[in-house]
Amino acid sequence: MSFDITITTDQLSKYYGSIRGVENISIKVPAGGVGFLGPNGAGKTTLIRTLLGIIRPTKGTAHVLGYDIKSDINQIRDRIGYIPEFNTAFIPDMTAMKFIAFCGRMNGLSGAESKQRASDSLYYVGLGEERYRKLGTFSLGMKQKVKLASALVHDPEIIIADEPTNGLDPNGRIQMLDLIRNLQTDQNKHVILSSHLLRDVEQTTDYAIVFSEGEILAQGRIKDLTSGRSTSISVKVKNNEEQFINSLKNDGLEVWVEGGYIEVTKSVNIEKVIFRTAYEAGAEIRYFGSRSRTLEDVFVDLFKDKEGIQ
Amino acid sequence: MSDETGQNDAYVRKFTFRPFTGLRRGRVYRIWSISWQWWTHEWDRSRAIKILIGFQLFTLLITNIILLSFRGLIPGIATEQLLEDTLISLVRGIVSFRTEIHADTNGSGDEFGNGGFTIGGSSFFILILCVLVGSGLIADDITNKTNEIYYAKLEKYEYIAGKFGAYFIFGNVIITLPYVLEFFLLFIGLGNMDFVTVFPVLIHVILFTEIVNLTFSAIILALSSLTGRRLYAGLTAFMLLFLANMIVPTLAFNTGQEIGLPLLTDVLTLLLICSYIIDGDTIISLTDFEGIEHTLNLTNGVGIEGWMILGSLGLVIMFGVLIVVFQVNRRHSS
Repeated sequence: MSFDITITTDQLSKYYGSIRGVENISIKVPAGGVGFLGPNGAGKTTLIRTLLGIIRPTKGTAHVLGYDIKSDINQIRDRIGYIPEFNTAFIPDMTAMKFIAFCGRMNGLSGAESKQRASDSLYYVGLGEERYRKLGTFSLGMKQKVKLASALVHDPEIIIADEPTNGLDPNGRIQMLDLIRNLQTDQNKHVILSSHLLRDVEQTTDYAIVFSEGEILAQGRIKDLTSGRSTSISVKVKNNEEQFINSLKNDGLEVWVEGGYIEVTKSVNIEKVIFRTAYEAGAEIRYFGSRSRTLEDVFVDLFKDKEGIQ
Repeated sequence: MSDETGQNDAYVRKFTFRPFTGLRRGRVYRIWSISWQWWTHEWDRSRAIKILIGFQLFTLLITNIILLSFRGLIPGIATEQLLEDTLISLVRGIVSFRTEIHADTNGSGDEFGNGGFTIGGSSFFILILCVLVGSGLIADDITNKTNEIYYAKLEKYEYIAGKFGAYFIFGNVIITLPYVLEFFLLFIGLGNMDFVTVFPVLIHVILFTEIVNLTFSAIILALSSLTGRRLYAGLTAFMLLFLANMIVPTLAFNTGQEIGLPLLTDVLTLLLICSYIIDGDTIISLTDFEGIEHTLNLTNGVGIEGWMILGSLGLVIMFGVLIVVFQVNRRHSS
């Protein structure tokens, strides 16, 4: 069965006593790769745990692949593979193979099927040769891969990875993100990547939902979120750079240096002003263009706006 | 899994993920998976379990050899009575540490030997092993943070049922099974018995050992979920069961001729008295450290009554289960 929308929530809220976990979350998560973005404590994990039935929502409803989280939670669990955020130590003296097969049986696979699929999953995540090693001897990166294998063993339609690159070295991080990306492209799985690392989300998914303090700040295709008009012009000059910057500032423009480029806030006839100032300061313009926005810019802007409103 | 061989290299195999098209098993199978997985894992890794079972079987074998060799020296006792007295004494030995009890009326286990065939020392090891192994059941999941993986796949009540099931498999293999085996060994060894006549003894053995399993599991799992650490859970459970059995009876006997209500807080003595209640005894004698006998009438309406014994055990089991349910649903899920 193919879905355009994998998860819908309607006014979903979860409170821990008086503390807000998430509040009035209404989202439609499209098929494919989706990133849940937000700082720690933004409500990403709370939403995921609510969708998995680990915690019950205080109010509101949600559907995953058409199944209601209140009445069909076991159907949902069989269709979701979950990589929890915590640094799981597993059962130290159990082999990876046994543990993953056990996970398969908990999802209703028969004994033989779970063993076969445990082997497949461990090979898929790159631990085929280590599958009979005890989990206690695994590095953090390998344990993260075991978590991914435990999420894959029952062939779910959706993979939810909560901070899967936490604590990994750069190489391990690249491997993990590659695996997650391949799940979408090669295995046709829907992937939800929850992270506070913007680059991880940007590299792996093409749709993002931004969370802050239990609410949704923004959502949309990453291309659309980052394609908004740039608010600054990037300039690179040779000779008299300092004089050029000071002249621009004297003209009342907002100027700053970032990543080797001089950024100038856009205003009326800004191009004319920059070229004239450069000519007067004796600076040669080597680059002139609009700065392309990254997800990080979007993120910073969203939080600036939120702080401004508050 | 399919493996595709590349066109120009025979070594590189690209593994792809095979879609699952089969039927998923039901909920009971998944609960059973938790129980069975835990038991097989403990069996594989724990030498102590294997040694204890070996010791249990060895003790039972010795008991059989002694009984069968010297049965001629015990005149005037029917074979059925001999089996009953031997076996009931043995199962009572599981919880007999400090308190000596015998029935004033001639019930099972009293006409012959007065507990002379209890397996004594092994009961201490049974308790130690129950506590050591069982205390990690939930605590290890909390320590290793694997419970989040379980909760993402199962309902919480299924997880709890799986954990209790795991303890039950363990308890049945360690406690119930050896005594059921002993019943059949004695039945065959002593011979010349009507099975229907001795069948109630088998029921007594199974019922009593299952009550012990249920009580131990409730206490140990409650402490395992409460403390979240195997060591703390083990120590607390040991103190609650063994040390209480050392201290509480003394307090209860000091309250005068009638045995005091503090005895109701000693779980092991409650279990021991429960065996007499199963046997239909109403008046039992408890001997204290100084050798003084205290009579306990379970039906006279004064002091401790039979219903209080069963009620207290019921409360222990109920509170234990409720603590596990509360901890799993609230504390471990927030």
